[in-house]
Amino acid sequence: MSQRNPAASSMSAGLFEGSTRTVRSLADEEIAISVENLDLYYGDTQALKSVSMKIPKQRVTAFIGPSGCGKSTLLRCFNRMNDLVDGCRIEGAINLHGANIYDRKTDVAELRRQVGMVFQKPNPFPKSIYENVAYGLRLQGVNNKRVLDEVVERSIKAVGLWDEVKDRLQSNAFGLSGGQQQRLVIARAIAIEPEVILLDEPTSALDPISTAKIEELIEELKEKYTILIVTHNMQQAARVSDYTAYMYLGELIEYADTMHLFTNPREKATEDYITGRYG
Amino acid sequence: MKEWWKSGAPWIWLNGGAVTISMIMVFGLLLLILVRGFGNFWPHGIFETTYMEPGADAPVRVIGELRRSETLTGEAMRSAGVDIPEDQVLVERHLVKMGNRDVTGRDFGYFIDDFMDEWRYPEDITVLERREWGDFLGTPLRLLENDVTVAVGDSLWPEFQQRLERSNDLFDEIRRIERGAIGNVNFRIERVRLDERRAELRGTTTPELEAQFAQRRADLEAEYRVLEERLNRLYDDAARDSLVLRVADGQEVTVRLADIVKAWQPNNMSIPAKVGFYVSDFFGFIFGYPREANTEGGIFPAIFGTVVMVLVMSIIVTPFGVLAAIYLREYAKQGALLKTIRISVYNLAGVPSIVFGVFGLGFFVYFVGGQIDQAFYPEALPAPTFGTPGLFWASLTLALLTLPVVIVSTEEGLARIPSTIREGSLALGATKGETLWKVVVPLATPAMMTGLILAIARAAGEVAPLMLVGVVKLAPTLPIDGNFPFIHLERKIMHMGFHIYDVGFQSPHAEAAEQLVYATALILVLLIVVLNLTAITIRNHLREKYRAEGD
Amino acid sequence: MESKRLAGHYSHRYDSELEEVVNRVLAMGGLVESQLTRAIQSFLDADTAVAHEVIDTDTRVNSFEVAIDERCVEILARRQPAALDLRLVVAVIKTITDLERIGDLAEGIARMAVRLADGERPRKQLFRDIDTMGRRVTTMVHDALDAFARMDPAAALDVVRQDFAIDADHEAIMRQNATFMMEDPRNITRMLDVTYAARALERVGDHARNMCEYTIYLVKGRDVRHIDLAEMEVVVKGETAS
Repeated sequence: MSQRNPAASSMSAGLFEGSTRTVRSLADEEIAISVENLDLYYGDTQALKSVSMKIPKQRVTAFIGPSGCGKSTLLRCFNRMNDLVDGCRIEGAINLHGANIYDRKTDVAELRRQVGMVFQKPNPFPKSIYENVAYGLRLQGVNNKRVLDEVVERSIKAVGLWDEVKDRLQSNAFGLSGGQQQRLVIARAIAIEPEVILLDEPTSALDPISTAKIEELIEELKEKYTILIVTHNMQQAARVSDYTAYMYLGELIEYADTMHLFTNPREKATEDYITGRYG
Repeated sequence: MKEWWKSGAPWIWLNGGAVTISMIMVFGLLLLILVRGFGNFWPHGIFETTYMEPGADAPVRVIGELRRSETLTGEAMRSAGVDIPEDQVLVERHLVKMGNRDVTGRDFGYFIDDFMDEWRYPEDITVLERREWGDFLGTPLRLLENDVTVAVGDSLWPEFQQRLERSNDLFDEIRRIERGAIGNVNFRIERVRLDERRAELRGTTTPELEAQFAQRRADLEAEYRVLEERLNRLYDDAARDSLVLRVADGQEVTVRLADIVKAWQPNNMSIPAKVGFYVSDFFGFIFGYPREANTEGGIFPAIFGTVVMVLVMSIIVTPFGVLAAIYLREYAKQGALLKTIRISVYNLAGVPSIVFGVFGLGFFVYFVGGQIDQAFYPEALPAPTFGTPGLFWASLTLALLTLPVVIVSTEEGLARIPSTIREGSLALGATKGETLWKVVVPLATPAMMTGLILAIARAAGEVAPLMLVGVVKLAPTLPIDGNFPFIHLERKIMHMGFHIYDVGFQSPHAEAAEQLVYATALILVLLIVVLNLTAITIRNHLREKYRAEGD
Repeated sequence: MESKRLAGHYSHRYDSELEEVVNRVLAMGGLVESQLTRAIQSFLDADTAVAHEVIDTDTRVNSFEVAIDERCVEILARRQPAALDLRLVVAVIKTITDLERIGDLAEGIARMAVRLADGERPRKQLFRDIDTMGRRVTTMVHDALDAFARMDPAAALDVVRQDFAIDADHEAIMRQNATFMMEDPRNITRMLDVTYAARALERVGDHARNMCEYTIYLVKGRDVRHIDLAEMEVVVKGETAS
C-alpha cells in the first residue's frame, strides 16, 4: 500500500513531532483481533460476506458505510451480541488471543468482559451513578466497598466526569444529561478493564459539544484499549480513527489507514461514498 | 351546514358528548352514594303529631322521623283503597320511621299528609339505639335503680347519661372478656382436644400423656369458670338500672340500660352537637360490630375481611403473575404454543366470575382443601379445617380471577423496556438471568404495580364467587387475632360486597336496611379508593425512581 | 474541461461549485498565459504600449487569485471535501498561487521591456535566445493548464520534462550574457536586465512545473514534489487512484 516519499515523510515527521497523528501502516502494528472469512446470515439473507481483516491493538478502527451495509452487524460479532438475534448464523472465525471467539468452548460472558460495548443511545441502568459503574464488578462478585470505591472513582475520572458527578454519586443516573450519560456508560464499560471497546455510533444522539468530549475521550482511551467505532459521521471517523474500513452491502470494500482512506482512497466505491457521489 | 360537517366540528361534539355523559353518570353515582350514605349518620329531628284517617274512631298519636316524602295521584291512592276525596288530584305521602318494633310490631309507616295534624318537635323526645329490636322513640319519665326511682324531671337526663356511660363501660368489659379471654380459653381447650385426638390417631397415647391432657383441660376449665363468674357478676351489675319511657300511644315501657347503646334527643341538639354526634356515629359504624342480622351496628368485620382478603390475594397473585409473565416474555420460545397459551390467559379475564367461584369450590375447597385436611389436620376430622370455604380459598380464587390482568400488565411492562438496556447489561458480561433480575424486572415494577392496582380494584368489588368460597353473612371471629398463628387462613370472613347484598336483599327490615346499604357502599368505594391510591402512590414513586429518558 | 470525474455528487450544487472553481482557474490561467505572451512580445519588440497594458492587467490576475481562494475556503468550510474533492481544492489553492507568481513575473518582464525600450537595443542574438526560451515557457504554461483541465497526469509529466530544456536555455543565456558583459563593460546594465528576463522565464517554468505536480497529486493522490523524474514516472504509470 501507500508509501509516501520517505524523504518528505521523515521531514514532515520531524516538523510535526507529536502534534498530529503520524501515518501508520497495518503491517507494523501489533494485531489484537483478526477476522477470517466471516459470513453472517440472518435466516436466508447474508448480512456479511467473507469479511477478513486485522484489527490493530491500541488503535482506533472506524467502520463507515451506508445504512444496512453490515458495519453494526460486524461490530456486534466481536462480542457475540448477534447471538441474541433469532436465526443468526455465523461462519468463519474471529480470533482474539489466538482463539476463535465462536469456538464452542468460549465463555460468552467472559468474552464480553474482555470486549466492552457502548451503544448508540445512552443506556444507563435504573440505578445510581455509583451502582451503574460498579455493576460489572458486582457481576463478577466483587463487593468489597474499598475496591469498588476505587474502581468507580478511577473509571469516572478516566471519562472526565468526576468533577461533574462526584457530589451526587448516589443519585439516579437518569438525572444526567445525554452526553454525561454516554460518558457514564463508557466509564461502566472500562470499569471491568476490557481490552477492546466497541462503540456503536456513540455520538449520534448527542450535541456537538458532547460529541467533541466523547471524541477527546476516545483519543485518551486508545492509550490503553483497542477501540472499534461504527459511525455515520465520516468527519468523525476521519477525526478520531487511525484506521478506517469502508463497508458496502455486507462486504469490506476498503480498509486502510484513515489519512489515506480520506485523502486518496484506493477504491472508486469508497471515494464515491466519502465524497458524497452516487457510484 | 355542509361546511359545518366538513369542518370536523360534529366529531368534536360527538366525542365531547360521550365524555360528558360518562362524567355525569360517574358523578351522579358518586353523588347518590355520598348523599344517601352520609345522610345515614345525621341525627334528624323527631316530630310528633296526630293522625286521623277518615272513618277512624279516634286520632292516633304519631312520633317518628321523616324518611322520605312522595307525591302520588289521588286516583292511584283511591284504587289502593284509601279514602281520598274524588276531586283531589295529587296526594302527598310520608314514610315515617317510628321505631319501637317490639312494642308496636311495625317500625315504619306511610302517612298521608292531608290527614296529619300540625308537626311539633318536643325537645324531650329521646331516641335510644338498642342492642336488640332497633331504635326506640319515646319520652323519658323516670330512671330506676333496682326498680326504685332515682331521678325524674330535670335531673333525669344528666343522671341517665352518667348511668348509661357506666352501663356501656360494663358492657365493653363484658365484650372484652367474651371475645378476648373466653375466646382464648376456648381456643386452647380446642387445641387440647386436637392434641389428644392427634395422639390417639398416631397411637402414641400413654397414661402420662392422658393425665397431662386431663390436667391441661382441668386448668383451662378452672380458668373458664373464673371468667364466667366474673361475667355473671358484670351482667348482674349491668342489669341494675332501667329507664321508663312513654311511647306514642301513651303506654309506659321500661328499657334496661344494659340494652341501650346510645341515647340522644335530636330536637334538643345544637348544630355543633349534631356534628359531633354525626362524627362519632360515623366512626361507630366503621369500627363497630354488626348487630341484629347486620341491620344495626357497624361493619368493621366486613371492612377488615375485605382488606385482609385483598391483601392475601395480592400476596398470592403478584409473584405468580410476575413469574408467569417473565417466563412468557423472556424465556418461552415464541411460537404457536405460546400464542395459544397467551390467548388462553387473556381470555381467562373474560370468564364470568361465578365460574371461578364454582371452580374454587370444587377444586380448591373440596379437592385441595380435603387433601390438606387428610394430610395435616386429621385430628379435626370430620370437622373440616381447610376443606371448607375460607379466607385462603377466597383469596386464591380471586388471585386466579385477577391473574390475567397482572400477567398482561407485566408483559406489557417488560416489552416496553428498551432492548438497549438489556444489551448494555449483557455487554458487561451479565448472563440473561442476571440482566433480568438486576435491570429488567426493577424497571418493570411500575407496570407490575399497575397490574396489581387493576387486580385490587376488581377483587375488592367481586361478590359472586366469594359467596361460594369463603364469605359468610356473619363471621364469629376475625381472620387475624391474638391467638397463634395470628393469621387464620382457614377462617370464614365477612366482605363488604356481600354485606351490601345481604343487608339490602336478605334483611327482614327492608326500610331499615336501605340507608345501611348506601352507607356500606360508600365505605366500600372509599376503601377501594384508599387501596388504589396507596398502590398508585407506590407506583408513581417507582416510576419516578426508574424514570427513563423521554418517558 | 474534463469535469465528469468531478461531477456525480448527490448535491448538484456541490458539483457546480467545484466546476465553477475549476473554470475560474482555467480563466485565470488563460489570462496569465496571455499576460506572459504579451510581456515577452513587448520585451522583444520594445513595445511600451503593450508593456503598460500588461502591467495594468496584473491587478486582474491578483483579484482572480483572491476570488478563487475565497471560494476554496468556502468549499472547505461548507462541504468538508474528502478524497478527490479535497485534493482538487488543495491543488487549486496551490495552482493559483503559482499562476499569480507567473503573473507577477510577466509584469516584471513588461517593466524590463519599458526600460529597455528607452535605450540602445542589445544584440539580435540575445533576443533570439529569449524569444526561443519565451516560446518554450509559454507552451509549457499552456500545456500545464491543459493537463490540469484534462486531469491528465501523463501530459503533466511531459510538461515537467520540458522544464529541463528551459533550465538548459537559461543556463545558456546566462553564459552568453556573462561573455557579453566581459566583452564590453558598457553593456553590463542592459545585460543585467536581459538576465533578469531570462531568470523570470526560468521561474515561470518552475511554476508551471509545480502546477503539473499538483495535477499529478490531484489525480494520483501522491505528493510528487522534490522527487526525481524516474520516481514520478512510476507514480504516473501506477494504477489510477480512483
